[in-house]
Amino acid sequence: MRFTVYQESRIGKRKSNQDRVAYCYSRDALLMVVADGMGGHLHGEVAAQIAVQYITEAFQREATPTLRDPFGFLAAGLNNAHNAVLDYTLERDLPDAPRTTCVACVIQNSIAYWAHAGDSRLYLIRGDRPHSQTHDHSRVQLMVDDGLITEEEAMNHPGRNRVYSCLGGTIPPQIDFSAKTALHTGDIIVMATDGFWGPLGTEALVRGFAGRHVVEITPRLMDDAEVLGGRTADNLSVIAVTWEDGYGDITTGSVQTQTMPITAHTTQMEGFDKARLRESDLTDDDIEKAIEEIRSAIHKYSK
Amino acid sequence: MPAQQINHPLPSGFQLDRYRIERQLSLGGFSIVYLAFDDDGTPVAIKEYLPNSLALRSEGQIIPAISEEHQAAFRHGMKCFFEEGRALAHLSHPNVVRVLNFFRANETVYMVMQYERGRTLQEHVQKHRGEIREIFVRNVFTRLLNGLREVHTQKLLHLDIKPSNIYLRTDGNPVLLDFGAARQALGASGHSLKPMYTPGFASPEQYKSPFKMGPWTDIYSVGASIYACLSGASPQAADKRVEKDQLVPATKRFADKYSGQLLEIIDWCMVLDFQERPMSVFQLQKALAERHQLVRRQPSWFDNLGQGLRSLIGK
Repeated sequence: MRFTVYQESRIGKRKSNQDRVAYCYSRDALLMVVADGMGGHLHGEVAAQIAVQYITEAFQREATPTLRDPFGFLAAGLNNAHNAVLDYTLERDLPDAPRTTCVACVIQNSIAYWAHAGDSRLYLIRGDRPHSQTHDHSRVQLMVDDGLITEEEAMNHPGRNRVYSCLGGTIPPQIDFSAKTALHTGDIIVMATDGFWGPLGTEALVRGFAGRHVVEITPRLMDDAEVLGGRTADNLSVIAVTWEDGYGDITTGSVQTQTMPITAHTTQMEGFDKARLRESDLTDDDIEKAIEEIRSAIHKYSK
Repeated sequence: MPAQQINHPLPSGFQLDRYRIERQLSLGGFSIVYLAFDDDGTPVAIKEYLPNSLALRSEGQIIPAISEEHQAAFRHGMKCFFEEGRALAHLSHPNVVRVLNFFRANETVYMVMQYERGRTLQEHVQKHRGEIREIFVRNVFTRLLNGLREVHTQKLLHLDIKPSNIYLRTDGNPVLLDFGAARQALGASGHSLKPMYTPGFASPEQYKSPFKMGPWTDIYSVGASIYACLSGASPQAADKRVEKDQLVPATKRFADKYSGQLLEIIDWCMVLDFQERPMSVFQLQKALAERHQLVRRQPSWFDNLGQGLRSLIGK
């Protein structure tokens, strides 16, 4: 396998980053996952992290070095991640289930398979045109489908963040699967949360990536999305990969997996440490308050 | 990879708040524990928050150096330290170490705990290797589980239960120590503050899937600790067991020396699949107690155990 991959997760203008992204590959298979924890729900970032971690761990167990049944893997991965989030909710007796969107893609033998729940998207760009893309599980998308509003109006619709399928909610997720899609050399797959595709829009996104080097263009498009997102810019995360199997020129910085041992895996995750640390910034006041609280508890329980 | 920083303890005689440092008791990855005396001369154990991957105290220094890039992580860890303090402050149980005070100094934070006299279960087991009696094990762990149940009631997991963290007071009562690993676990944490675990006593989920941790995680460590009491050594580490399980079940290894019921409980606690273990301390205590009813129905056993009990009290 030969490909170039780039991933990045940014906090935008929010207090915490609830997006999680990861890619992971064996000698003959590549997995990419994007999850967007639901901001309005408790522990959204935990749900996103569980989903990404669960699916990448399953990949490391099962891609030896290919997956026997990629769609089966995706179905089990997303459903099990959903159950893992529920287990977490039950174990900790959380009042509200944390939830996350999820889009996951497997590529092996130059064939792509993907599945998603919610409104994190996957675009396959061939040449300068969108070849295929996921269909959001959102009310706004349904309204567009029914011709009630245009794509343009959907971009600014107040309810555009509402999704009806996700992992971890009380209702089992609706998971949609792609067709088995044979990749050509130079195909670009972009997976992103709504903080990225939302402000940019599909057209600008496809135009931006077409024919460009993902490592150079992705951060620039993220800059654009962040600016367009304005003062309340959402978390934004992207994984972009250029498929290079075949006879194209070797791009510098690309990953070649031919020399990897069959049992080896490489995993890259984004959005974990930075988000966690930023959120936990303690001010001096917080410290004084915590100490005061502990002292009064000690006093109260000591006799 | 940079070499691990090694932190120097506060010097003996150092006046810290209203305590005078006597000496260092132990050094962990996150903290240093000191023996100190308060202004009445009462001995206390003081735990200093000092994660050695983030803060450096060189010889002769008092205030640790924390680089700009580590500030956020340092404060994040401090939050965990507060959580430990907060949870312990709400616990007033004879079998759980007692927190007496909490304060800020030297740009870090300190937790003052009751100083216990006695020795650790590990020291006891090493001294009496091969002659640990069932009644002793039952006595220690039944009482310890009372404490652990309180800990879990506070929605806290200990996550580092092992014979060296169980203290036997001179009156024989066990105390659960060192909540340094304790956490209201929230998935895997950042790389700078990796959860710590002790091979042999940590459960498989602590290595691989921290979001599956629950009371059963501590229960695995309780089982491993009992196993270690009987064998005199740490059991095979859980991550190795997952690859190739070479742990001889307690029911096989100690069959001639201990009751089958106790041994079955050990094996039950140490099942690799967390869903197959006792789900709560209460469930485990119930299983342990069933034995006592059985004992009462068999006078010959009871006599033996009674003698054991008397000799223990006689110490």
